Amino acid sequence: MMHPINVAEKSDVGFARIPEGETDVRPGFVGFTTRGFLAAVICVATLAAASAQTPPAPIVVDGPAHQAPWVRYRDWSQTTWPTYNTLSERTRTPVATGKPIDIVGEIAGDPKKGQDLAFARSRGGGCLACHVMGPASQETPGNAGPDLSEIGSAGRPDSYLYNYIHDPRHLNAASSMPPWGAHGFYNDEEIRHMVAFLKTLKTPARFRSALDDPEKRPKPVEDRDALDPFVNPAVDRIDAGRALFAKAGPGGKSCVSCHADEKKFAGWAVTMPRWEPRMKKMLGVEEFIFRHASATTGEDYRMQSTGNTDLSVFLHSLSNGLPINVDISSADAKPVYDLGKTLFETKIGQFNFSCGDCHDPNRGGNKWLRGQFVGESKGQLDHFPLWRTSRGAGQVWDVRKRLQWCNVQVRADVLPPDVPEYDALELYLKAQSQGYKLTAPNIRH
Amino acid sequence: MADDIKPRIRVPQNPKKGEVIEIKTLITHPMESGQRKDAAGQTVPRSIVNALNVTYNGKPVFAAKLEPAISANPYMSFFLRVEESGTLAFEWKDDEGKSHKSEQKITLAA
Repeated sequence: MMHPINVAEKSDVGFARIPEGETDVRPGFVGFTTRGFLAAVICVATLAAASAQTPPAPIVVDGPAHQAPWVRYRDWSQTTWPTYNTLSERTRTPVATGKPIDIVGEIAGDPKKGQDLAFARSRGGGCLACHVMGPASQETPGNAGPDLSEIGSAGRPDSYLYNYIHDPRHLNAASSMPPWGAHGFYNDEEIRHMVAFLKTLKTPARFRSALDDPEKRPKPVEDRDALDPFVNPAVDRIDAGRALFAKAGPGGKSCVSCHADEKKFAGWAVTMPRWEPRMKKMLGVEEFIFRHASATTGEDYRMQSTGNTDLSVFLHSLSNGLPINVDISSADAKPVYDLGKTLFETKIGQFNFSCGDCHDPNRGGNKWLRGQFVGESKGQLDHFPLWRTSRGAGQVWDVRKRLQWCNVQVRADVLPPDVPEYDALELYLKAQSQGYKLTAPNIRH
Repeated sequence: MADDIKPRIRVPQNPKKGEVIEIKTLITHPMESGQRKDAAGQTVPRSIVNALNVTYNGKPVFAAKLEPAISANPYMSFFLRVEESGTLAFEWKDDEGKSHKSEQKITLAA
């Protein structure tokens, strides 16, 4: 059962305390029938103009803000990776032994088999995802890692090449490359074939066109008019969210009952996530929608439900054109920001990637994974929620869903959307977009 | 779902007489194909917009028959030569027998 915060008790601006006997007993619900007057008064200015004098918005503090138990989306990979780090379980992944494997003499492998393994996408994307590999690189290769076209004449001993593929942490602590052998992508024999293939690479790659060459391929620019409903189907969700905003909940009241002027929300979404002292955590827009609606209208807008996303799109759109302005310096926000920074550099999943491995511009950021451009962390959170074109028509994602997706892509178990780890990561990333102007809903691949 | 249905029309403003203009239209509709099953395994009944008729000053200028394979929120565009100012009237018909109407005035540049 969820317990609504009694706003009168928490506020310090002189509202009368509500007698115990009058408290509405329905779970997760502040009754308007018994406290209509109070709720109406309090709601007037809570969100849009939060200041020291404003009483806090009523929220339900207990229980999850998502469907419980949390289950991963049905159309996502259902594999779990219980032996590798997640953002919350950060000590699962076995620590590298620090000792390279002894390889005696020359490695005998089949270069043809090695090439097939290196180019195949089926096991973790293949080497071409990040490396140009000589003239044989028939598919559009990426450049997140170094060009290996002449690795065969670089004078590396076989044992070095073997161990670098097996677990690069022994040889180069700064490497972003997954431990392909130690994390079970390829077995000993397969790595030997790949070493044999690497030794044949002695000539620079040739590309038929600039589009094939990851160093010359033009950076994609999203320049469609994201707010044109003829271009972006997510724009329809603004109106859908506005309709929900005006729709009466079980208690007979709607959001509009208290928030008559939607314009007052201009500038709200760009300040989220924000510290919530009653929960001792940050609340993003989507979690706030659930917790506040549960305590006021009584409508159940679980995170990542259609209703929650529609309201999120609507509320974000009211801040369009305004700069991202999240608090990262206050005593409450600073530790969350610091946690976000730590998580950004935490290696997770079977791939053993941190966010920074792919999104720091000094590593994989602003480079290519095969034909796919990987953006840097800066400027990523000025356009959520968005229509995710690669996931089918009409798929509108909030930022938490995008973070969860990233987790699955590096083969780490996802967390429910309201965990403090995603709060921290969202705050850290949003701070990277500080000052960028919001355009929501947007369009991304 | 019927209350979600919302037609949109986009027409260039103040075209010249005789100009060929592009008319764009999009209707918000789930276009339930009748092939899908719900969580309980029951077939979700077909519910699509099945026809669009467009007239200009009462004369038909564009008509389309829509089939179940067409995506949700169908988007169509067509070209029209405008010789006079007038009203472009759109009428969509759905499987429930309802019709959704929308109009847009076109005024020729002086």
